[in-house]
Amino acid sequence: MKRLLVIEDGDEYVEFARVFLRDFVIAAAQSAAAALAALGENGADALLIDLRFDRAPAEALVGDVGATAARLFAGDELRARRYLADQQGTLILAALRSAGFEQPALFVHDFPPRRMANLQKLYGAVDAVPSLDAGAIRRALAGTR
Amino acid sequence: MGCAADRPADDARVRADADYRRGIALLAAGKTAAAREALRAAAAAAPIDPALYLPLARACRDRLLVERAAEFYRKFLSAAPTGAGAEAARAELAALGDDVAPLLDEAPPSPPRWPALTLVALVALAAALLSTVAALAWARHRQRGRTLAELAARNPELQPAIAYLVGCLRHELLKHRILAIGEAARALASGAAQSGERQFLLARLYGGEPLRLAWAGHLGAFMRALGPRFNLLRHDPLFRDADRAVATIATTERALRRDEPDAWAQLARAHARLTTLDEALGALTMRLQNTVIDDALLADVVAETQRELGPRAAVDELAVAAVPSGIAVEMYRLDLVLVLKNVVRNALAAAAAGPAPRRVAIDVDVAVEPTGEEIVRVRVRDTNPTALPATAPSTRGLGLVTTALLRVDGSLVVEAGGDGWAKAVVVRLFRALSATAEAA
Repeated sequence: MKRLLVIEDGDEYVEFARVFLRDFVIAAAQSAAAALAALGENGADALLIDLRFDRAPAEALVGDVGATAARLFAGDELRARRYLADQQGTLILAALRSAGFEQPALFVHDFPPRRMANLQKLYGAVDAVPSLDAGAIRRALAGTR
Repeated sequence: MGCAADRPADDARVRADADYRRGIALLAAGKTAAAREALRAAAAAAPIDPALYLPLARACRDRLLVERAAEFYRKFLSAAPTGAGAEAARAELAALGDDVAPLLDEAPPSPPRWPALTLVALVALAAALLSTVAALAWARHRQRGRTLAELAARNPELQPAIAYLVGCLRHELLKHRILAIGEAARALASGAAQSGERQFLLARLYGGEPLRLAWAGHLGAFMRALGPRFNLLRHDPLFRDADRAVATIATTERALRRDEPDAWAQLARAHARLTTLDEALGALTMRLQNTVIDDALLADVVAETQRELGPRAAVDELAVAAVPSGIAVEMYRLDLVLVLKNVVRNALAAAAAGPAPRRVAIDVDVAVEPTGEEIVRVRVRDTNPTALPATAPSTRGLGLVTTALLRVDGSLVVEAGGDGWAKAVVVRLFRALSATAEAA
């Protein structure tokens, strides 16, 4: 069976995957560091990534708060922290790609097409489904959407 | 008719008569506003010919203004109790119903002619009543027609609040508690469910805060933000349908737990209604939040700012670089224009007050972020060497600008101007990346 690594700050996706995606072995990670460790240890055939990590502790987030604040938010670190949490899934994917993990990644989010195209340019095999729909997830992971 | 023969044949009377007839015809045609105007003009000119009370009564009757109709029938019969049309008027008055028929008995059999002033007052009263009826009807029509989308379109100042509330509703309730159960519901309805699916569905729908309370909480938030007169359930059919769907889900819990086939079908219909609401709200949010930056918008901003500043905006050169293509940003147009005008105003005023050559330049570029988003930078450079604080330039209206930018996660920063320029003020905004945002 293929191995799916679910990366999220809670357990909703894992709970869903264990019920509806029984044709995968499900593993879970709640941060980029945990995901890197899991991939290093056991590998995975695909990644299912949550976008928002608003429950994750600040120190677990990928991204430099100060630099992001200066670059995007006129020095406002509170906004930068929130932004990093809201977009964390994509930043975790960036970290995984930098570490050499090229597995197909899937988000559950209704990304606009242009943003999806940007993500694919940046990170290769990336797709998204708009909601927790097991059939759509399975098709996306199989590349048959 | 006898009473018509007694009328003085002056011009005012003739004009009034024509206006009365026109007003009656308009009322009969359902054009109450125009009828009101005609009757008001007529009443101001001369008293009504009592013969016209009969057509006026009939027009009121046909518009379902029953009490007004009865009153005018009575006046007609008072003025000409035995004349032509009296018998028909009596029958029509009686036909209005038992409630108004007794009015006939109260009419004096052969009254004296009414003083002109009284007639004018009565017609004015009738016109005022018609006016009230028309105003109420229009107000009701407007209220009925004001969906959330229409309210947002008519009130730009409410758009940020509406978008925020819609986002909360979609994310907190619709996405995680409703849309997520679609597949489980289908599987359970068809009998193809695997173990765990029922538990998953029941936990999402009936675990935690009761769905009805959560839904009511979101509706309450809309009402608090938009005002108690705007009632989503009364004015917006999508929300009304969704409310019924939530009620259905809440009341089918027991039947679902007993696995009754009808309950699964009901749940599927309720789920479809709430999915429709979610899709409509998603489209609404996108429409509200996007504005296209293009050459025309920048030209408007520059022209308006120059007009406002007058001679204080006199510079040697003002260059606006062409925007490569329309670039939509996630910002309400009202706010975007406010921000850009503020920045351009300050640059023009600074350059004009600085040393020659006095120049201002505006350009727009776009950069892709690691998140896949794109950042739009509107850069306004000037030649005045007076330094500004790096992140908070002291500008007129800065509070409004800051608020507008904060709402969309935008920012305003001061950078080095580069070659030949003293400084650059840069507005940073997120690009709207939907397929439709820039086509609009």
